[in-house]
Amino acid sequence: MRARYPDSEGLLVRDGVEIRYERYGDGWPAILLLPAWSLVHSRQWKMQVPYLARHFTVVCFDGRGSGGSSRPADPSAYSDVAFASDALAVMDAAGIDSAVLVSASRGASWALRLCAEHPDRVLGSVFIGPSALLVPPLAERRVQRFDEVIDEPVGWQTYNAHYWKTHYPEFVTFFVGRMFTEPHSTKQIEDATGWGLETDGETLAAADRALEGSDAAATRRLAARLACPALVMHGTQDAVRSYADGEALASCTGAPLVTLEGAGHFPHLRDPVHVNLLIKQFADRVRR
Amino acid sequence: MRARLPDRAEVVRRDGVRVAFEVFGDGEPALLLIPASPITHARSWKGLVPTLARRFTVVTTDGRGTGRSDRPHAPECYAPAEVTADLLAVLDAAGADQAVLVAHCHAVPWALYLAADHPERVAGLVAIDPAVAVAPPHPHTVEPDRRWADPVGAPAGWSMRNRHFWRQDGGYREWIEFFFGQQLPEPHSTKQYEDTVGWALDTDAEAMIAEREGRAAPPEGEAEALCRRVRCPVRVLHGSDDRCQPVARGRRLAELTGDDLVVLEGAGHLPHGRDPVKVTRLITEFADRITGASMHATTWTRGLSRPARALYLSSPIGLGHARRDVAVAKELRRLRPDLEIDWLAQHPVTAVLDAEGEHIHPASRWLASESAHVAAEAAGHDLHCFQALRRMDEILVANFMVFQEVLEEDCYDLIIGDEAWDVDYYWHENPELKRGQNVWLTDFVGYLPMPDGGDREAFLTTDYNAEMIEHIDRYPWIRDRAIFVGNDEDIVPETFGGDLPAIRDWTTRHFSYSGYITGFTPPEPDEVAPLRTQLGYRDDELVCVVAVGGSGVGQALIDKVVAAYPLAKKAAPELRMIVVTGPRIDPAAFPQRAGLEIHGYIDRLYQHLCVCDLAIVQGGLTTTMELTAARRPFLYFPLGHHFEQNFHVRYRLDRYGAGQCMDYATTDPDLIATHITELAGQPVSYRDVETDGAARAARLIAELI
Repeated sequence: MRARYPDSEGLLVRDGVEIRYERYGDGWPAILLLPAWSLVHSRQWKMQVPYLARHFTVVCFDGRGSGGSSRPADPSAYSDVAFASDALAVMDAAGIDSAVLVSASRGASWALRLCAEHPDRVLGSVFIGPSALLVPPLAERRVQRFDEVIDEPVGWQTYNAHYWKTHYPEFVTFFVGRMFTEPHSTKQIEDATGWGLETDGETLAAADRALEGSDAAATRRLAARLACPALVMHGTQDAVRSYADGEALASCTGAPLVTLEGAGHFPHLRDPVHVNLLIKQFADRVRR
Repeated sequence: MRARLPDRAEVVRRDGVRVAFEVFGDGEPALLLIPASPITHARSWKGLVPTLARRFTVVTTDGRGTGRSDRPHAPECYAPAEVTADLLAVLDAAGADQAVLVAHCHAVPWALYLAADHPERVAGLVAIDPAVAVAPPHPHTVEPDRRWADPVGAPAGWSMRNRHFWRQDGGYREWIEFFFGQQLPEPHSTKQYEDTVGWALDTDAEAMIAEREGRAAPPEGEAEALCRRVRCPVRVLHGSDDRCQPVARGRRLAELTGDDLVVLEGAGHLPHGRDPVKVTRLITEFADRITGASMHATTWTRGLSRPARALYLSSPIGLGHARRDVAVAKELRRLRPDLEIDWLAQHPVTAVLDAEGEHIHPASRWLASESAHVAAEAAGHDLHCFQALRRMDEILVANFMVFQEVLEEDCYDLIIGDEAWDVDYYWHENPELKRGQNVWLTDFVGYLPMPDGGDREAFLTTDYNAEMIEHIDRYPWIRDRAIFVGNDEDIVPETFGGDLPAIRDWTTRHFSYSGYITGFTPPEPDEVAPLRTQLGYRDDELVCVVAVGGSGVGQALIDKVVAAYPLAKKAAPELRMIVVTGPRIDPAAFPQRAGLEIHGYIDRLYQHLCVCDLAIVQGGLTTTMELTAARRPFLYFPLGHHFEQNFHVRYRLDRYGAGQCMDYATTDPDLIATHITELAGQPVSYRDVETDGAARAARLIAELI
């Protein structure tokens, strides 16, 4: 059973893609919890929603390729612009003019785009473990070859389109293990694994290819246009995106960086209390 | 001594009237603290200023009619337009384009006028117990106020608020004493009462009458309209037991200005004096919010990723705690090698800690000096330490706020406070702020009155003891462990005063005993001679060490002992006297004599004390117990009016059969010389002092983590 159920939920269709969204509470300002990579869906925010919804209007949606949203096969459907446009469409559908954005991991690029291109819709932006792509990947990820056929891939080599076709569950198990480096994370690992298995390797591969056009320069251009208050938090034990990525994003946006010592890639699931308090504190300051 | 001195203390002059202001700090935004002058002045904010000034630019003003300001006696001089013009002039002179106003009681209408008429100058307003006629006054003030100008005979209570009575001999004082008695309904408010009465007596009845008649506060209807004109954020604080301004006024003001009301339940009319911690935090939070202070970079460490850490606070007042605390810390590390210990400490404790390689928390630099205050309180061979502690109130709250900020920024499992009065007091007053396991150490329990303080002092010490007992009874979870540095027999056979319990019984119920903690192991009998040689003392000389600790209080005693030296030397030619003045007394100020050596500082003084033939010292516990442990004969002179040295220490030394207690006032150089010749080098039979006190204390602490 959930701690809190949505006050309303809906399905919107944009360019033939269905996007499932939920709305909770009616406080001000609104908080839009953005999707991350399609491996997880909006339940990634389950530890935030009940708390934040007591204070704010909370809106979240399943990113295309995940949860109750469609799973387009065409990689072009997963562009940053597509996700950002989904977010705006969800805000419209939920009756939200402007919101504080909260993103995790890959959601950072969509948040940055919304901040830069739709400043009137964004009150502030919280980045959790951002995949800002501002620094080189972690050393252990340099073995990744996404389109090569690799015999018996291990570790990050399993981040591979061919492998996902046949061994998608194994990859999910590996990847989720890297998301939660904190000891005693069995429940978080089970949750994220379950969400990952709700989608499939082909869909995830399509979503991943959309990333190929992203680079540090593009991120920097967007970050330079960010004018709203922002906050970055990043775990020092993040084994998916390095802590240095969060540092770099904080530095090029001028946002304060909250260092989460000992935390991994998804602190909003593993350290929900502290993350909740930080989001609340941030939104309270935006609210004045 | 003040906890923080102003960076600027100046006056503005308008139409010939000088209005004093002070500026502290240089952060953003500026806060203008507006007292309800002239019945009080800028010092009424003393519990808030040091803390606020670390973050913001704080501007205080005395207001016309009191403090360092002029005291015009014409009512028109106190019209709201005049006062608000003063406040604008103060903001101009202080260089503050815009400020958050913090106003109390009848200063709130002035602040409302400023906010309504000069919105560009006012970023926000904190209204404390506002005297704004948006709700009816207290019924008990209506009739007296109606008869304000009527001749009265011998009025009582609120009827003393009468212009004729204030002009009678002693009338104004009588009114003031009644009024502030009403305004501090919180138990144990003696210090706040003395302060506020004192500030009220800094003005005179004529200025007070002129202000009251010229005040022209907006009447009902106008007051509502004024409130509605205010556009900036307003926060209202109101004591639920405010007998000057009904809480309904605060509530209505909040309704008219944005609904930010904090009712301080159980508080009276002076929460900024009586509950400075809470009020400071509410003001800080408000200022941060309205000025949009952005969040700042921080590190939060996951619970299981944190090393075990302790924050050790060592009181600098007694000057002797540092060594025992280092000894406890060392023992604690033996038991818990993984425990990191930071020290929040100030000079002179930091000198000892630095020498030991201990880690001093950088926030220590924000601590207001307690030892300088104590030195400033001393005169001759006299230190009224109970009153000195009471007058240290603003330093204690300033230092508590530093401590609390450290705890909220960093994570500590354990707080160890060796007579950390600030933490112990303000955590009991603000129990919601406690975090971590808390260890309280002390070597005495119970304030005792000096006989010449009479009934008043006995009342005060009893009241302070009662507050402490109530604190512990109500919040037994604030002190996770209380350690008495000593044994139950060391505790005076006295009560806490009045109907309060016997000190020893109560202490046994609420404390664990560690035994005495010397901080060093005294030499065995067979080690004395080699150490003596090593320190440069011959067998055939009588070595007399005179030491007065690190404060400047010792000059008078040294003078007397130095005067005794020629007499003693004549009677005992083998006498060699070593005088240690401490850093605050100039050794060159004393006459030179053969066999008399005067030093500012001696490294490892305790070693010299351990091998001397006689010591002459003050009545502080640390030094006298070092001598007791080392079995040296000694004369000790308790400081005048120092209840701890005169009662607690003396009782303990008597139990050990140690030392010759001397009365400074009645002792002349002849008597000192006689004692020197009689006692120097004589064997003693003291009770043994345990050497495992630090280890026992460390075990008691280690059980908590």
